[in-house]
Parts: sequence; structure tokens; C-alpha cells
Amino acid sequence: MLLLTVSIGCNRTRKYPLQGEVVGKNLATGEITVNHGDIPGFMPAMAMPYRVKDPAVAQEVQPGDKIAAEVVVGKDPSDYWLEDVRITDESGRVQAKPPAAPQMLMPGARVPDFALINQDGRKIRLSDFAGKALLVTFIYTRCPMPNFCPRLSSQFARIQNELKKNPEDYGKSHLLTISFDPKYDTPAVLRKYGLAYLDGDAGGFSHWDFASTNPTDLRRLAQAFGLAYQEEGNQISHTMSIVLIAPDSTVAKFWFTDWTWAELMESLQQAARATGKGEGK
Amino acid sequence: MARGVLPVAGLLAALLLLGCGEKQQRSEQLSKAEIEGQWRYENDCAECHENPQPDLHKQPPNLHGLFLRKSLPSGAPATDAQVRKTIVGGRGTMPAFDRRLREEDVGDLVKYLHQLK
Repeated sequence: MLLLTVSIGCNRTRKYPLQGEVVGKNLATGEITVNHGDIPGFMPAMAMPYRVKDPAVAQEVQPGDKIAAEVVVGKDPSDYWLEDVRITDESGRVQAKPPAAPQMLMPGARVPDFALINQDGRKIRLSDFAGKALLVTFIYTRCPMPNFCPRLSSQFARIQNELKKNPEDYGKSHLLTISFDPKYDTPAVLRKYGLAYLDGDAGGFSHWDFASTNPTDLRRLAQAFGLAYQEEGNQISHTMSIVLIAPDSTVAKFWFTDWTWAELMESLQQAARATGKGEGK
Repeated sequence: MARGVLPVAGLLAALLLLGCGEKQQRSEQLSKAEIEGQWRYENDCAECHENPQPDLHKQPPNLHGLFLRKSLPSGAPATDAQVRKTIVGGRGTMPAFDRRLREEDVGDLVKYLHQLK
């Protein structure tokens, strides 16, 4: 029977049962974001977007719904989607989340000032970068999922390297990676992590800070920037959020699900060029 | 949960993940610890180390035949201790797995890496 199972596995897609809660959906892409438990053999517990095979399902399910489904993984492991989606409990739908978007800032809103501790153990503030275009994202250094934190940091590294070729844009912009795992990601850990993405060039920290702060301010920052994260066992389930803060300290743009490094860089350059100040840190 | 369920499930998952042909034959020669290590490898390592990652800053090295050479891709000696250190503490852009894997998981993984030719 085992051999039969294996031979089936050879020629077909693989299927894994999933149970979780819908925390978001994007009708434009036909994706729903599910906060799910461990899926042995495929994915640790986390919140992440899944394409739904039947578009009607994406219409039907609502944030707060508990669902059961099958994750189908194609020949290419990066190609996966949900089938046989069943709503197992819709009692948490909508009403359970009245202030669904607690204090998330809208584009154009002024960003409150936050203090952080950077990779050198030095206190920095978001206001230190006023006058520059600031691109912010969130990671934790232990993240093992290549499409999540490693990808974010890799894209920021690419932007860092490309911007260096244009000193004017480089001088009017800044990158900030914030860890939502301050217990583990001490300044020393963040410095080591940052150096890996800066190819060992500590001078790069003058344009790209790696920082964290206390749990209370992290929660507030995450709310403000639309990030969800939750410790589960020894890992952290999380969504992704990138925010561009304009030189006048207002939110210029958010990215949550779909972007390229080139798109991020172009937006950052546009915001940087929109100011004549170029002062700041 | 019955104590026997997890190892059996792990074995099944390992067999399913194995795929075809050569790998399947090799699994029949693996020890219990190596099969556990293989399951860990497929779960925690393969996504980066078996597939090209064009979006990542540094390409994770292929780990096949890791212990057949004198030195690791980093240049450090290819010893169990060094590989264990890399898994636990991370290296460069590779994340640390110290909170994700237990000591015995790392031991199983290193045993399996010896078999990954």
C-alpha cells in the first residue's frame, strides 16, 4: 500500500489538509489570506495568502470565517492553491471584528513618531528621517520562509545597491527594517543579519537601519502600518507590510501582497525627488 | 495522541515527499534517524536548498554530497560540528534554526545530510 501511495505521489499534485481562519481576501487576485495551523510536510503555522481555485469561493468567504480546505501543490512547489474550501464556522464573521482596522494609517496620514533601537544599540526615531523618503518593512531574522522575510530583505538589499549608483537619490532616501521579534533580535543579532545583506559593508547602515523596539510600541507600529504577527510556538506567523513614508512624514503608499523591488525603488525615488530638502539623518 | 502515531506519520510523509525512482530506493536503506532527518530536510531545508531562489540576495548552496568534500561551501571544514553550528546559528543570510529544531532534530538532519549524495 505504501508503494502505491508513493507511486501516486510521483505523478500527481500533492494535497494537504488545511484548517484555519480567513483574515483577509483580495478579489482582484482571487486570493484569501488564511491564518492556519501547521500543515505537516508543506508549511508551518502562519497567516499567508492562497489562491482559490473557484473564484466564487473567494466571494463567499469572509474574514473571521473558520474554513477547512485542501492545499494542492503542483509540480512546481511554488505553485499551490486551495480546493474544496468549506466554511466550518461563520460565527466570527464581520461582527466579531468591529474595529477591524484598529488604527491603520491611510495614505496621506501623518505618521506618529516612534523611537527604536538600531543595530548599533543607538536610539533612532522615525522623525530622524524627516526630509527623506523612508521605506519601511518588518521581518524577524529567524524567518525560514524564503518568500517572506528573506525575500523582503533581499529586495531591500537590491534597492540599497541600486540606489548607491545614484548619490542624489541615495542621500534623499533611507531604508528601515523593523524586527517584530525583539526578544531574539537584539541589536547584535540585527547587526549580523544586516551585514549579511550589506555584503559586510557596515557603511551601508548609514542608509539602511535594522531596528526594533519594545513590544507595546511594536504593536502600535504594526497597527499603524497594517502588519499582523503572532508568536506561535517557536515561530512567528505574520503578514507582510511595506510602507513608504514621504519626506513630509506622511504615508505615501502601502504594499501588502504584490510588488517588485523595482516598483518599490521607483516609488521611493519619486518620493525622494519630490523634496528639495534632502536633509535629515 | 498515541505515541506511535507521529513516527508512522513522519515515515509516511517522508515516503510521500520522496518522489520517485532513485530517491525511493535509497529511502529503503536509511536508518530511522536518517528518515526523520530526511523529513526535516524536506520540511525545513529543501525549499531553499533544492530550488533556485532568484529573488534571494544569496543563492543557498546545494547540499548534495556535502560531506563528500573536505570543506563546506563556506570554506569551513566539512564536519558534523560545523554543519550543526550552521543549522543552529545560521550563517550569512541563512536564518538560525535554534528555536525551530530540537537538538535531536538537528542530529537527525546531520545524519541525513551524510546520506544526501
